[in-house]
Amino acid sequence: MSRQRARRWILLGVALGAFLVLVANTGWWETGLRYLFPEETTVIHPRASLLVLVWEHIQLVAISSSITIIIGIPLGIWVTRPGGRDFLPIVSDITSFGQTFPPVAVLALAVPVLGFGLMPTIVALFLYSLLPVVRNTIAGLRAVPAHLLDAAYGMGMGRLQVLFRVELPLSARVILAGVRISVIINIGTAMIGAVIGAGGLGSPIIAGLVRDNLAFIIEGALPAALLAILADQFLANIESSFAYISDRV
Amino acid sequence: MIRLEQVTKSYGETIAVNGLFLEIGKGEVCVLIGPSGCGKTTTLRMINRLTEPTSGRIFIDGRDTASINVEKLRLSIGYAIQSVGLFPHMTAFDNIAVVPQLLHWGKKRIARRVKELLELVGLKPTEYARKYPSQLSGGEAQRIGVARALAADPPIMLMDEPFGAVDPLTRERLQAQFIHIQQEVKKTIVLVTHDLDEAIRLADRIAIMESGRLVQYDSPEVILSRPRSKFVRDFVGADRALKRLSRLGIKNFIKAAATVNVNRPIKEAVASARGYRWLWVVDNNQQLIGWVDRSTLAQFASIKEAMDEGDAGEIALSDSATLREALSRMLGLGFKHIPVVDDRQRLIGEVTLGDIEAATTERGG
Repeated sequence: MSRQRARRWILLGVALGAFLVLVANTGWWETGLRYLFPEETTVIHPRASLLVLVWEHIQLVAISSSITIIIGIPLGIWVTRPGGRDFLPIVSDITSFGQTFPPVAVLALAVPVLGFGLMPTIVALFLYSLLPVVRNTIAGLRAVPAHLLDAAYGMGMGRLQVLFRVELPLSARVILAGVRISVIINIGTAMIGAVIGAGGLGSPIIAGLVRDNLAFIIEGALPAALLAILADQFLANIESSFAYISDRV
Repeated sequence: MIRLEQVTKSYGETIAVNGLFLEIGKGEVCVLIGPSGCGKTTTLRMINRLTEPTSGRIFIDGRDTASINVEKLRLSIGYAIQSVGLFPHMTAFDNIAVVPQLLHWGKKRIARRVKELLELVGLKPTEYARKYPSQLSGGEAQRIGVARALAADPPIMLMDEPFGAVDPLTRERLQAQFIHIQQEVKKTIVLVTHDLDEAIRLADRIAIMESGRLVQYDSPEVILSRPRSKFVRDFVGADRALKRLSRLGIKNFIKAAATVNVNRPIKEAVASARGYRWLWVVDNNQQLIGWVDRSTLAQFASIKEAMDEGDAGEIALSDSATLREALSRMLGLGFKHIPVVDDRQRLIGEVTLGDIEAATTERGG
């Protein structure tokens, strides 16, 4: 069990190393893209090196996802407590609304208030990715069997003890699954930040679309896809470390 | 120890428990029983305030429970529930350790206590401590549940159908173990069940409830022999006389039996049989090895030849059996006398059909 888990972490580390080596060597990309698109005069986006773009992208996702987690999980917890239960429908509606509202529209609305760059992008990403976290937190907490809560309270646990010792451990997997979905969505959606100058892997893609340069688009899209896969594996590994034996061994 | 005064619980229009008075003595096992919806579980849950009574008061050792901090109250009351309620993300050890941890016991003390409790409920600590609930059988999980409720040695235990979710054979074993453990720990126990046989077996006193009211609160013997109303009579069923027998151990009904040593001359057997038709045959160790029919004894030269060899285990009862088992054995074998042996198969006497009859009719059952 734990040996298997260790192996997964090692594999992930190796994959991450390979990814970093790949994005650090712009020369390889240039050779490859030039081979694929011989008619283009430039195949590498000149604004910044690929490594910098990846770093900017990771920053965007990390900041927005952190805010999503820091606000989303407590929000989900709050609306399942007796004190916040009345707000459950409102919170559900607002988070659903946040996701149906196109991030590009959020950007358009946020720029006049927050200016260009990082801030409006983070707001848009935060709103867009809140839903899976909140919804999964609520679903996870609600799925904790009533008789276990009964046993926990009956044995003399207080509300916080029940939350931290019983409810959260039992719903951790579902909540983390929500976080995972939210982060993956963010990695894709963070592309739009480039429109208002937040940088990231969106930059070469936007440039490629404007100049009709397919090489730029691939330069942005391929690392983003790899990044999403790595993030997914990373979070999956964390998720599985919260698993308890649920099947007969 | 526990006293309920005029306790009522209503949910809107429906009254779950109606003006209940109940007093449970220290070290007593009180079984709440009745048809579903009679309010027995609600009553149990009001004692540890998982459900707050609408009106009325509940006292534990003379203190009104409403005046005690609810978590403190619950920490001092063991609680075991039907679906076991073991936390699936914790090992058996951690499940049992929950309340001691809440009480901030030291690590060593907790480890010692868990080991002790696992042994008490008959599970090997080395084997079971690290198992998760999903790795346990139903019966094992129930026992861990009981151990968990006992963890901090609370004077009171509340049990809601603690043996409900297991097969009949396991249930019987758990009940026997319950009786054994209770003799050792002497807790004040309130237990909810819908199984009358369970109630009769475990209870010192049975509280029969019907739609929120207490209809009779007496010892099992009295409930069975003198049901106070038609409801109780119907509830305990037509075979209540038989049920009563399961409350009575054969210990008090064992009489000296006509026995003869297998190595003695046949004349002695004839002489000692006197009014009896059957004689139990024992060896030099007093162990039961068979029986002889006095009417045919004359035809044989020795007891050994005359003896019907029986498997003592199949005929004889242990001295911890109940009259119900004795009667069942008699009917099965067609005997009017059943030998009783101790745990080393030594004959200590016999129980007769006549005595069982007397026991059932004694108090007008």
